[in-house]
Amino acid sequence: MYILALETTGAHASVAIINEEGKILEKRSEGVLNHLQYLMPMVKDLLKENQLQLSDMTAIAASKGPGSFTGIRIGVSSARALAQILKVETIGVPTLKAFAYNMPDYDGLICPVFDARRNQVYAGAYRWEDGQIHELVKGAPYLIDEFLKKVRAVEDALQQTQDLQEDIPGSIGKAAGMRLFFGDGTKAYKDWFRGEELAPEEVRLQSAASVAKLARDMAEAGAAQSYEDLKPDYMRKAEAERKLEQHE
Amino acid sequence: MKDGKLVTLAIESSCDETSAAIVLEGRQVLSNIIASQIKVHQVFGGVVPEIASRHHLDNVNRVVDEAMKEAGLQMGDVDMIGVTYGPGLVGALLIGLATAKAYALAAGKPLIGVHHIQGHICANYIAHPDLEPPFMALVVSGGHTNIVEVTDYNQCRVLGQTRDDAAGEAYDKVARVLGLGYPGGPKIDKIAKEGNPAAVEFKRVFLEKDSLDFSFSGIKTGVLNYVNSRKQAGCEINTADVAASFQQAVLDVIAAKTIGAALKMKKDKIVMAGGVASNSRLRAMMEEGCKKEGLALYCPPPVLCTDNAAMIGCAAYYKYQAGERDELTLDAVPHLPL
Repeated sequence: MYILALETTGAHASVAIINEEGKILEKRSEGVLNHLQYLMPMVKDLLKENQLQLSDMTAIAASKGPGSFTGIRIGVSSARALAQILKVETIGVPTLKAFAYNMPDYDGLICPVFDARRNQVYAGAYRWEDGQIHELVKGAPYLIDEFLKKVRAVEDALQQTQDLQEDIPGSIGKAAGMRLFFGDGTKAYKDWFRGEELAPEEVRLQSAASVAKLARDMAEAGAAQSYEDLKPDYMRKAEAERKLEQHE
Repeated sequence: MKDGKLVTLAIESSCDETSAAIVLEGRQVLSNIIASQIKVHQVFGGVVPEIASRHHLDNVNRVVDEAMKEAGLQMGDVDMIGVTYGPGLVGALLIGLATAKAYALAAGKPLIGVHHIQGHICANYIAHPDLEPPFMALVVSGGHTNIVEVTDYNQCRVLGQTRDDAAGEAYDKVARVLGLGYPGGPKIDKIAKEGNPAAVEFKRVFLEKDSLDFSFSGIKTGVLNYVNSRKQAGCEINTADVAASFQQAVLDVIAAKTIGAALKMKKDKIVMAGGVASNSRLRAMMEEGCKKEGLALYCPPPVLCTDNAAMIGCAAYYKYQAGERDELTLDAVPHLPL
């Protein structure tokens, strides 16, 4: 089993291959927003360097959004076309949730935040529990302050649970009050993140390796689908559609 | 290969049509599937790039699948993949390109990027099996207005182009002013048939002497001013007359410059291409003008005038025959020069 994963939702594109044991091969582009140009060449090089063929792939995964609309489309349409020709299934990986795999050993809240302009973000909060990713703030579009409020509310709730658990002898309370922020939103809204802890730079942004890992879990859970059903998750209508609805 | 003939799979997605075609030996079209988004964009009064891109993504694989099925071929039979890489809307172009590149990599086929205008010109090779270069080409559409000297299958030179709006763009804008809706070209063409082309005198913009360039932004303003002044004076506006007069002013310039270019460059053939080449008045005027000057006129049927992948397949074939191949790094170029 091999899954090829494409990540094109942010500034840097990356591609990764995961095998049944969870071993990862990855390639990242140093360039910025050159996904269309280098995505297929990166796939070709990654395969070649590891003596693999595209025909060895059992599924194609794409980071389906949110993120740059154009970026999402490059990844999703490439994945659809590859799967169509290779006659394999696809996996549409939620981009925000995949960040959990950027820090699989972290106990606190993993909070990816993408810049959606005009004080808006695409964001969510996730936490590892017993080897499972829990979504504690739904991955969705938010106003930046609205999202941060939600994160704090989730933490308060966690804190209370922990206080209760500490009264029970032998229980190991998870570290509440721990949170890490990821994504380009931490840069775009840096004033909002003053005093907050940001994820280490090498794991702060999107990575195809994380997309591949989540894709593998999803495939095991039966989430693989036909290429025709692989759709972007823009999380937002086109500007023209929103304006039209406002006028109606 | 099919029956010893080279098979091209072509994809076009530069504006609001998602199209895929299978073409044999450059000129024989086995399938030419076009998914039009006109209805999607009508409510916005024009093409919305973000929405066009979203629809291209939803449509492209199915359109290719249909083209393959209709041709009765498999990816294994395909010898090359041709794709439009510019000019056009970048977000729209990249869906066709990302798809074509993934196909090229997955199926191990050569990739050939095609210039959209080159494709439009090539539509004539499909429609007219005997046509060969050299000739003069007039490319008129919603996005382009070009007079192109075609010296060989892969060699051409732009002699004239619009300095502002494309002819089709002027049609769309004037149609909006007249309340005819989108897309403007076919609507103005239809209503103009009932109007008097000499009813209103709109300025013909020929620019400098000997220039083969065009300018259509002025006439749009001219129509707008005329309509507004009539409204202010409380006069009724005869839409058919205004449409016919506007159209005549635009087409007088286009026809005169194209025929003039052919004569000047000593070409005995003129080919028309692009969406506006379907315009019945333009066709009639060009026929009349060419007959008078002893020039042969070629024009594709409407389905090959509109954006379609068959014409891209034809252009890709001639590039392939000339030994041209593109790398997987091929990028979308929204303002690609010819």
